[in-house]
Amino acid sequence: MSSREEIIKALQEVKVPAKAYPGVFTAQVKGDDTLADFLHSMVVVSTTVIQVKEGADASPALDKHFPNMQRVRLDPLADGLSLADVDVLEIDGDFGVAENGAIWLDDSNLPHRVAPFICQHLVIYLSQKNLLPTLQEAYIRLGDKQTGFGVFLSGPSKTADIEQSLVIGAHGARSLVVVLTEC
Amino acid sequence: MHMLSHAEASEKFIANQERTDWHDDTLWFVRSKRDKASKLLPEWEALREQASQIKEHMLSNLPQYLLEFEANAQANGVQVHWAKDAHEHNEIVYSIIQKHGDKALVKSKSMLTEECHLNAYLEQKGIDVVDTDLGERIVQFRKEVPSHIVLPAIHLKKEDVGETFHQHLGTPKGNKDPQFLTEAARIHLREKFLGAKVAITGVNFAVAETGEFVVCTNEGNADMGAHLSDVHIACMGIEKIIPKRQDLGVFLRLLARSATGQLITTYSSHFAKPRAGQEMHIVLVDNGRSRQLARNEFRNSLKCIRCAACFNTCPVYRRSGGHSYHQPVAGPIGSILAPNFDKKANVDLPFASTLCGSCSNVCPVKINIHEQLWFWRQDLMKEGLAPAGKVLGMKFMAWMMSSPKVFKLAGGIGRKVMTWFPFLVNNGMNPWYKQREMPEPPKQSFQEWYKSNRS
Repeated sequence: MSSREEIIKALQEVKVPAKAYPGVFTAQVKGDDTLADFLHSMVVVSTTVIQVKEGADASPALDKHFPNMQRVRLDPLADGLSLADVDVLEIDGDFGVAENGAIWLDDSNLPHRVAPFICQHLVIYLSQKNLLPTLQEAYIRLGDKQTGFGVFLSGPSKTADIEQSLVIGAHGARSLVVVLTEC
Repeated sequence: MHMLSHAEASEKFIANQERTDWHDDTLWFVRSKRDKASKLLPEWEALREQASQIKEHMLSNLPQYLLEFEANAQANGVQVHWAKDAHEHNEIVYSIIQKHGDKALVKSKSMLTEECHLNAYLEQKGIDVVDTDLGERIVQFRKEVPSHIVLPAIHLKKEDVGETFHQHLGTPKGNKDPQFLTEAARIHLREKFLGAKVAITGVNFAVAETGEFVVCTNEGNADMGAHLSDVHIACMGIEKIIPKRQDLGVFLRLLARSATGQLITTYSSHFAKPRAGQEMHIVLVDNGRSRQLARNEFRNSLKCIRCAACFNTCPVYRRSGGHSYHQPVAGPIGSILAPNFDKKANVDLPFASTLCGSCSNVCPVKINIHEQLWFWRQDLMKEGLAPAGKVLGMKFMAWMMSSPKVFKLAGGIGRKVMTWFPFLVNNGMNPWYKQREMPEPPKQSFQEWYKSNRS
């Protein structure tokens, strides 16, 4: 008998009293102001937000934020490793979550999965109309979308493993800027 | 080698009063952040209840969900392996590495691989395992093990880390600046990430419905490893399964808030399919979990999502340190998981608690941890595994307290002994005297006082 069969058999032999699945969680309390909540979460997770009008160019603001740094808009880069040298990487985010500042990115935004992790600084473009109040709504929005890889990314990489001192920029991006397009 | 019991190891830990206080305060601070984060959500208690019910439902249907997960993961192009124990898990991981002929790999945090002692096994085979979580890398350099499942190096001060990095990474002697040391680790580990062909990660949640699994980190080390490698091996205990994707909306709202008071971890990465040209493996490990599932009183310890809120709140953990638990998972939850692996070796752990119940109160999946500690005590005493002194003491107490006459007599003798011959109780032979002042003996018993005042 294979280990697979042995494990399944052992588990089947245990008579665990049946417990029903509780169903969809519906008790979430949504804030009155999704935008304000999102902006607050951005502060909590050490992220800079640049708000621009729809169709407006964010470049001047980004130039000012990243002086003398090379910025690359993600798409045609050949492999993950060359991204290691990129100063600032710009990508599109799918939707954002107000309660925790998490932004969903997946294979459709990321031709190279390592991109938002390996770059030195990350810029994510997000439309204000794609803000959702809680993570529950975010999973409803995600539905059964099939993607090979997806990530909720909230803020720059960080650690507090040395004496609980917060250090921004552990292994992933050292900083995050969200360009939020007003609608 | 004699393994120190929790009490013996704690004695060493608290020998340094200043460090003990620092450890205590630091973890209490983390607990306070958890309180603040949880109170910002009006639906917090409803979320805990939902999470608890989902996990209980999962445990009552575990084989079905595992098979559903396997089928969906395989359809996604992931290779699924099953290991009934730690040894088989290690063999499977090694065989995958061997197939690719690589001698080095990067690994992000996985308490399961700690439980299986994977690092030691692979090192014996000549594989260089690089732990990439900063805290884990620090303890790996020091040839120690993590003392906390979320904060692996919480027992160390920045001076210790500075010295360790000076020895292993050549940072200037005496530099203990966390920013500087983290930067040194970033540069050191980037090189490892870029060179590694094989990456191992743990798993926080595995979704039966989709075959995907979620890995949470703040540093981004799991992603750096997995996305740059040719082979990604994810190792998980079979209890990490959850039924549906939407359940992640419940667990991810609870996990980081409970662990560190964060809103969510920086990265909550959902792995479903290998990227083009990559191999992805999942190792499903039993290692005693089916045995624990069969124990009615202890079954729901398998609901644990490894947030460590119970560590941070525990007055015993905070003042004894993770290493005193001599188990990969320390703290209150570790103390109810450990006897399942080996009752005799872990007989001390269910006693390393005041049974105050704070662990159960903060648990995001509502495990009755303190009750299970108490159940284990009964189980271990019944099996005759408790230390002889404790057994004798308990027997004497039971005999004395079941007879009012003997109780009265013993009380009288006790008060007299403490008054006239205090050295008989105030000495090292009496475990109650350790780290405590014995109380002033009262002049009379309550019964005597009541008679003279109320009759």
